[in-house]
Amino acid sequence: MKSRHLRIAIGVAVALGSSALAGCAPSTDADADDTVVVWDYYGQSTPLTEAIARFEAANPDITVDHQGFDYDSMQEKFSVAVSSNTGPDLATVDMTWLPDLASKGLLADIGDISGGILNGKPIESQYSAGAYGAMRYDDHTIAALYDFDAYALFYRKDVLDAKGLTVPTTWDELLATSAAMAEDSDGDGKADKYALQLLPDSFHYVQLLLQNGGSVLDSSGGVAFDSDAGIGALEFMNELLTDGGGIYWGPSEGDSSGLPGVKDERIGMFLNGPYMMGVLKDGAAAQSGEWAVAPAPYSKQPGSYLGGTGLVIPTTAKHGSAAWKLAEFLLQPEQQLLVYTEAGAAPATEAALAMPELSATDPYFGEQAPFPVFQDAMATATAFPYVPAWPAIDTALTDAVTAVLIGQASPADALKTAATTAETALNG
Amino acid sequence: MAETRLGRWRRTRRYLPGAVLLAPALVVMTLMFFVPMITSLIYSFGDYSGIGPFTWVGLDNYTEILVDPRFQQAWANTAVFAVITMTVGPLLGLVTALMLNNRIPGRTFFRAVFFVPVTASLVVVSTLWKPLLNERGLLNDVLQLIGLERHDWLSDPSTALVAVSAASIWQGFGFETVVFLAALQTIPADLMESARMDGAGPWQRFLAVTLPSLRPTLLFVFVVGMIGAFQAFDQVYVMTGGGPVGSTTTVVFYLVERFRSLDLGHASAAAYLLVAVLVVISAIQFRIARTR
Repeated sequence: MKSRHLRIAIGVAVALGSSALAGCAPSTDADADDTVVVWDYYGQSTPLTEAIARFEAANPDITVDHQGFDYDSMQEKFSVAVSSNTGPDLATVDMTWLPDLASKGLLADIGDISGGILNGKPIESQYSAGAYGAMRYDDHTIAALYDFDAYALFYRKDVLDAKGLTVPTTWDELLATSAAMAEDSDGDGKADKYALQLLPDSFHYVQLLLQNGGSVLDSSGGVAFDSDAGIGALEFMNELLTDGGGIYWGPSEGDSSGLPGVKDERIGMFLNGPYMMGVLKDGAAAQSGEWAVAPAPYSKQPGSYLGGTGLVIPTTAKHGSAAWKLAEFLLQPEQQLLVYTEAGAAPATEAALAMPELSATDPYFGEQAPFPVFQDAMATATAFPYVPAWPAIDTALTDAVTAVLIGQASPADALKTAATTAETALNG
Repeated sequence: MAETRLGRWRRTRRYLPGAVLLAPALVVMTLMFFVPMITSLIYSFGDYSGIGPFTWVGLDNYTEILVDPRFQQAWANTAVFAVITMTVGPLLGLVTALMLNNRIPGRTFFRAVFFVPVTASLVVVSTLWKPLLNERGLLNDVLQLIGLERHDWLSDPSTALVAVSAASIWQGFGFETVVFLAALQTIPADLMESARMDGAGPWQRFLAVTLPSLRPTLLFVFVVGMIGAFQAFDQVYVMTGGGPVGSTTTVVFYLVERFRSLDLGHASAAAYLLVAVLVVISAIQFRIARTR
């Protein structure tokens, strides 16, 4: 009887143990064939679906496993997956993530994989100098820019025209126009209709900083954003909120694109990148013909942060060559055009930017051709500093801007605190 | 007399089925719990990102995070969060349990109603609370109706942590209610009757009979609640992302941020400091409960 119990116990134990161990065993599917795994954060309007279908048709020997990811959690998932050798072969990443990912050694040198050649020509020759610079880290090409992001001014043309206002081109004009355009419908002293959206983040602050002649870091890599130019930029941002018809758009609003505010008309003006063309068309279709785009007003010089989406190949990619073949395909002008037509964003290669389709007028923007505005913005845009400490500097700047806009600190004090944090991070 | 080989075999055979049945669980526990625990302890003494070499740095990670202002702020925020949730939550749970312990109409219905939020995910609850606390949210509509000013609760550093705490309390106090209710029903009726016959009023009966009888339950609620409060993350992640200006960054949020940036050394050190503090707090709570 006892030995029967023992046999049953051993049987149960073996069954449970086997199932547990089976669950722990890694899948070997990815190694078994030539499937290129692609991670994509674009969402529903991704240009990659159509482009990959075309690639598979042209390359029947290569299969692509196209996986969609949420933008907000992609950086974390990518880092963890690559570090545990379960990452993709090719991925879309926000260009602002590059310093963090590259400093951890997660990104392969595309220059090595491609021999420095993209679709038959040197990679460098196919991008603007600023864009190519943004793809480089520590003398290595770690990403191929797929779409670019540089800020311009989106505004409700119908409201501006109805109020007899003109498009602002300088900071002073922006302040005056924004104040005249915005309304305070409930009389609480705050703009709540047709207001200028003010996002408390480093992207929007750095744009003003650059326009005011400042920089995030100086040429020797030291903190420079707490200069007079930096303080002036933050003072102006605060003035837009207190006297310029700005509306504070903090995290509690939930959607940083501001789309809910666009739809209920709280927002009548905002500074953002070309991807917002697609967001507006998809999310606020009823306002077709009412929006227009203009170059961002500036004080001393035009300026914007330069970002966008890069195609990267992780160091742990199992099919690096096939991944680069796909990347080259995605960067052909015909496929780059999908970035504009499918995602409403801005393709990045020089050849794609020269395509006449991008200069076409758009009925959503009142028959204006909005794309060239962003193309001009790109020419004077600057990427965030590519230093490993950037995530800490980014957080410090965001905290500083938030503290000022909610009235918790003066611009000088807030930037001084941020500078101390940034210096500590830079010094390791 | 020395045990014979046969005797040893018989004794072994008697325990073998139990050991064999325990083995799978032990293997899983070892792989999923003990190995990561020991691994993260080792990480806490090193500079390691998951890729590349592991560099032994001794106690540097511990000393560095202890002087990091964001970590200090995270501890302060966590302590405030714990105090708010562990004061209001159990108090609310106890009051509700005392009310539901009486024979009131719809008692069963209310018991279920108060417990429903507990069954909901904290992420779901936080997602629902976020628009309620928005400047254009329902809470502000109500405040405006009674003549008070609207306020963006989650964007103001002085109110954001309180707002996050409120959502947490709402989600969790149903659990405390049920636990207290179960304990209240174990108090012997004759004890209450004796106190009543001795002339004790409701408040005196509560202080002299109910509260002492609830001491083990109170200890349980405080220990479990305190551990939960010090591990607060979901509600912070969803409602504020640790902001504004770090005013809702908790210790777990801080260490998750470190993990996300693959700074495994500092993240592990922060996790072990949290464990140490929780052990100390729990020990103090047990000690207090034992001495009184």
